[in-house]
Amino acid sequence: MILQKISKQGKGELAFAGSLFLLGMFVAWDTSKMVIPQGSSIVSPQTFPYMVAAFTSLVGLVLISDVLRGRLGTPDGSEPGDPFIAPSYKTMAILMAAIGLHVILLEIAGYVVSATICFWGVSFAFGSRKYLKDFGISLIFALTVYFSFTKGLNINLPAGFFEGVVGK
Amino acid sequence: MLMDGFQTAFTPTNLMFGLLGTFLGTLVGVLPGIGPALAIGLLLPICLTVNPTSALIMFAAIYYGAMYGGSTTSILLNTPGESGSVITALEGNKMAKAGRAGAALATAAIGSFVAGTIATLLLAFGAPALADLALTIQPAGYLALIILAFATVGTLLGESRIRGLVALAVGLVIGLVGADLQSGALRLTFGNLNAIDGIETVTVIVAIFALGEALYLASRHTLVKVELLTMSGKAWMTREDFKRSWKPWLRGTAIGFPLGVIPAGGSEVPTFLSYGVEKALSKNKGEFGKGAIEGVAGPEAANNANAAGVLVPMLALGLPTSATAAVVLVAFQSFNIQPGPMLFQTNPEIVWGLIASLFIGNTLLLVMNLPLIRFWVLLLKIPSHYLYAGITTFALLGAYALNNSTFDLQVALAVGFIGYLFRRFGVPITPLIIGVILGPLAELYFKRALQISQGDWHILIAGPFPKIIYSILLLVIIGPMVWSFKKKFANKK
Repeated sequence: MILQKISKQGKGELAFAGSLFLLGMFVAWDTSKMVIPQGSSIVSPQTFPYMVAAFTSLVGLVLISDVLRGRLGTPDGSEPGDPFIAPSYKTMAILMAAIGLHVILLEIAGYVVSATICFWGVSFAFGSRKYLKDFGISLIFALTVYFSFTKGLNINLPAGFFEGVVGK
Repeated sequence: MLMDGFQTAFTPTNLMFGLLGTFLGTLVGVLPGIGPALAIGLLLPICLTVNPTSALIMFAAIYYGAMYGGSTTSILLNTPGESGSVITALEGNKMAKAGRAGAALATAAIGSFVAGTIATLLLAFGAPALADLALTIQPAGYLALIILAFATVGTLLGESRIRGLVALAVGLVIGLVGADLQSGALRLTFGNLNAIDGIETVTVIVAIFALGEALYLASRHTLVKVELLTMSGKAWMTREDFKRSWKPWLRGTAIGFPLGVIPAGGSEVPTFLSYGVEKALSKNKGEFGKGAIEGVAGPEAANNANAAGVLVPMLALGLPTSATAAVVLVAFQSFNIQPGPMLFQTNPEIVWGLIASLFIGNTLLLVMNLPLIRFWVLLLKIPSHYLYAGITTFALLGAYALNNSTFDLQVALAVGFIGYLFRRFGVPITPLIIGVILGPLAELYFKRALQISQGDWHILIAGPFPKIIYSILLLVIIGPMVWSFKKKFANKK
């Protein structure tokens, strides 16, 4: 009933507020399952987490009631009353995929490969469509970072199949 | 003591690190969308390779460099990287549009220098005095201070109180992850061995700013072409500009520094306050909003003085009250140095070296940046898709390089998504970072206090110090709430 009155933005925010409440509940559940090592201490390691759990759930409830009363947050970079911009999940998914690939490939394929893919993917998500030029710049970026970190700063990065080519 | 600091800072190696820090700090700070906190976070891995003293000297230089770089971007591009530059963007960009970019940049640079120097001097005297005082504070008193910081940072930032507290709560939850320091009990680790050590604060900071912002912008398609204003002539000001600027510089310093020392919620309040004061005092009120030089000079000085003021509680009490101070604290911690009252006794060479390098860094900035301005402007011409690709990839590198573990990268991705949600629903970022850092500290002091009293909770409000702090808390936070509620109630009648 009430939900019908809420705008699309409000529904998203309601879900956000609700998950905050659930987060608090979850912390409380995790704390109750905590294995407490032997040895007596005056304050149990559970006390503080229970406080945080209660605070989080409480804040979540207040936010839910705020949203239900139509007090929505103002998205970053816009003014109160600006029209609602529906988020483009497609570009977000591309961006998340680029970052995710970097995470997965880093230790398998090495820094240069995964960083090149990530850089290229992010610029694609941000609307660049000059595939070859982007690839060139991505590769140069990855190589520059790789060599200045491993050779210049002695910070090790996974070499991947570069290991045989350039040494470590 | 300060002289010893200068001796530490003036060795050729350390001077070189200071110079490098100013350069890198400005370089990263100039890039649109990167505020000082993220700039320092991104550059942290680089500093980890050198010895603590040199690294912290480099940090001091990066700190001021990033602040300076941010104001350049605000003036020429109208994209403030952080809340403290909003006013600079407002008034400075108007000046640039009117062809007075040079004067705006000059008054920002010289104002930052003047404010930075005075404020650093106040820091050099204020921080040790506060540290002496802090030695007498009991754990219960510390807990009270932390709760006050939570309350002010949580409720004063952003337009809605509840959203600041939302950010704080999420930060506290993130701070819980890992093994309890005293008992070793595991919390929220889900059997993941990597999570036992807790979540790296730097990963949180870098991810929530860099990845969160990238995700948010991508979701909104708001890569509108921002107009880069060209600068003709030199970055310098006329005698008239100078006459109109020097008083705002000093007033800005007087407003910015004290508001940094007390946890008043970051650099937003002092810059707005300074702008208001300058507008009220100005003879040419009509110029405000159309590019008044006072409106750049005052807030820029306030912003810089505030940045130095924030270092006072950070160094003397170990309590950061802004995102930027939080990153500096993390930098200290990564060298196993814990800021706080003992720091001035255990590591005097590092503290005084740091303070001395703040002076040096500030001077180097002035000397270097006005002539180099054309080079910095070139950086603003990087197309935004490459810029965000670079920021994202570099942020991930920073998260990985700390521990060489992909677990940190997974955390970064998750935190980045939280950063996206926060931006979408108007939740401020800083309280989250304060929660991550101060949450574990709050628990520590809470436990210590109760250990002293053998479990009697009355100790938390025993003695004059906690009582004073909680009274302030009631007055500052609860007072206005009651008042606004009363007003609403009266209106309804």
